[in-house]
Amino acid sequence: MSSTTEHQKAGSGAPMETSASHENLVERVKAMQSVWILGVLVVIIAVFGVLAPTTFLTPGNITNIAQNVSIWAVLAVGMTFVIITSGIDLSIGSVLVVSSVVAAQVMERMGDQGWGTALVGLVLSVVVGIFWGCLNGFLVAKANVPPLIVTLGTLSVALGVAQILTGGLDVRSAPAVLQDNIGYGRLAGVPVITIVALVIVVLGGILLHKTRFGRYTYAIGSNETSARRVGINVDRKLVQIYGFTGLLAGIAGILSLAQYGTTTIAGQSLTNLNVIAAVVIGGTSIFGGQGSMFGSMVGLFIPAVLQSGFVIIGVSPYWQTVAVGSILITAVYVDQQRRSTASGGRR
Amino acid sequence: MRSSTFRIAAAGIGSVMALAACSTGAPTADSSSSGAAGGSNNKTIAFVQGVAGDEFYITMKCGIEAKAKELGYTVTTQGPQKFDPTLQKPIVDSVTASKPAALLVAPTDVEAMQAPLEQAAAAGIKVVLVDTTVNDPSFAVSQISSDNIGGGKAAFEAIKKAKPNGGKVLVISVDPGISTTDARVKGFEDAAKADGTYQYLGVQYSHNDPATAANLVSAALQKDPDIVGIFATNLFAAEGSATGVRQAGAKDVTIVGFDAGPNQIKALKDGTVQALVAQQPAVIGSDGVEQANNALTGAPVEKKIQTGFTIITKDNLDAEGGQAAYKSTC
Repeated sequence: MSSTTEHQKAGSGAPMETSASHENLVERVKAMQSVWILGVLVVIIAVFGVLAPTTFLTPGNITNIAQNVSIWAVLAVGMTFVIITSGIDLSIGSVLVVSSVVAAQVMERMGDQGWGTALVGLVLSVVVGIFWGCLNGFLVAKANVPPLIVTLGTLSVALGVAQILTGGLDVRSAPAVLQDNIGYGRLAGVPVITIVALVIVVLGGILLHKTRFGRYTYAIGSNETSARRVGINVDRKLVQIYGFTGLLAGIAGILSLAQYGTTTIAGQSLTNLNVIAAVVIGGTSIFGGQGSMFGSMVGLFIPAVLQSGFVIIGVSPYWQTVAVGSILITAVYVDQQRRSTASGGRR
Repeated sequence: MRSSTFRIAAAGIGSVMALAACSTGAPTADSSSSGAAGGSNNKTIAFVQGVAGDEFYITMKCGIEAKAKELGYTVTTQGPQKFDPTLQKPIVDSVTASKPAALLVAPTDVEAMQAPLEQAAAAGIKVVLVDTTVNDPSFAVSQISSDNIGGGKAAFEAIKKAKPNGGKVLVISVDPGISTTDARVKGFEDAAKADGTYQYLGVQYSHNDPATAANLVSAALQKDPDIVGIFATNLFAAEGSATGVRQAGAKDVTIVGFDAGPNQIKALKDGTVQALVAQQPAVIGSDGVEQANNALTGAPVEKKIQTGFTIITKDNLDAEGGQAAYKSTC
């Protein structure tokens, strides 16, 4: 309990810090976790660049890394919103699976391999995603069940529904147009799936940083009671935010179908934790009220680059998880220190 | 205050990187030599496991390393944390970028790993599929796996030997869509259905989790207390099945496991599992290296090799059965 109040104190000091250092842009930039963590990413890339100069920094490997984080990037956009409200969403991997299952089953029945089928699949996948997201949001906002519990529950329920719908058998029939054009297509050498993800990330960033919806998201995370007092309809906003995360999980479901050509029911089991780790490494505070889309994207690339680099220089796979975990803890530790310093010099 | 924070953080990140650097000692040398050599002098083989830390793949790695040493190759081994194509694909992509001469890989999904492995082959890497396969393996120079349908039949024969009077038999598998375990199930199912004295109860999926397998088996024994035999199609399914039988308090159930890791061998010694169908992962590995070498040197390559099985029971544990057991270290 006492630790919670401490964190809240630290959290409430944060906006003060931003406004206080407003006149000094350099200070402000230096204070941003995302800038600091970008430095870490650059160092990691440089180290691997030196260790494996002919293989790591090749266009082929860089596009591979970008392609492999694309689906996580779409999910991380929603997760950034949710974590800024001091919530969490553990269910995204399962929602992704159930969305792709519904879409794949209907597309399979339609039998056609064209764009029309793919579009129906996309719409269905998104609708299913929004449903699960809104269910999460409703239970968090109206039923007052903690987000950790709600989404832990929907994680199982959504996966169970996917298994019931399919009998546990992966549906392996994504329309060819989807796989050829989105999953493995290239546009000027850049994977199409990465371009799709980038567009979503940019739109998500604008929504978070430049609109009233985004400001309310920060307000709810900084102090929910104050947000209510100034007249923000917090409950409705929470349902919208979790619904938005579900929508993105639905899009990710279609992208996953496009990339893997199968519904990966047994897979995606670590997706939620990987995305949460990325968002937190990127400087979004688990206590809410702070974070940036840019940071989440940098946070996403650190584990991906580490894994790719470690594979290329031939480090045992066990060290990869050790490294990512260490960076996660270090990032949050630095964030905490920085904030308690900002909130009045308490070490 | 801030500077000290940064110092500590820098130390943290620094130690992670140092860790990376120190544990790479030898492999760094490998990769730089391969980078320098390139082209035909490239003597590196990459091995991507289905999952890291599984004795089956460790034994395969031992076979690969032994054969590679003999033929003058260096081997780097990687594997995902779980048997999951979404985790294996990034690893395969990175291996492709590192341009080994050959890639020995156990694909985790017949569809999802198709395109990433085609890409590896298109990059000029000789791809050898070991243990599992994909929908269209035409890009691979060779496929080496156990005859899994035969393995399933062998498992049924082992149950038949222990329970000659017939009865209900159940299969605990991993997940649908894995070519090897699906084939084992099929082999068992065909053999069980062909024999009128046995009633085939179908297959349950443990999702490669011993706890799930245990729950499935104890629940199945609640429903059908007269089950005489269980065929567990992989390591974790067998471990879980043994636990499930013990949990349910059932005594007279013959469990036939597939694979022969240290835990199964112990379970066999303890009498919780009555027979094991052991594959020959070391042979799969060394055959894989041999075919990759043939492909690289222009010698004739065998497109498809099927390796055999050893049935291990308590009786032959000291002889050929013991030698067929899997290793946890080379």
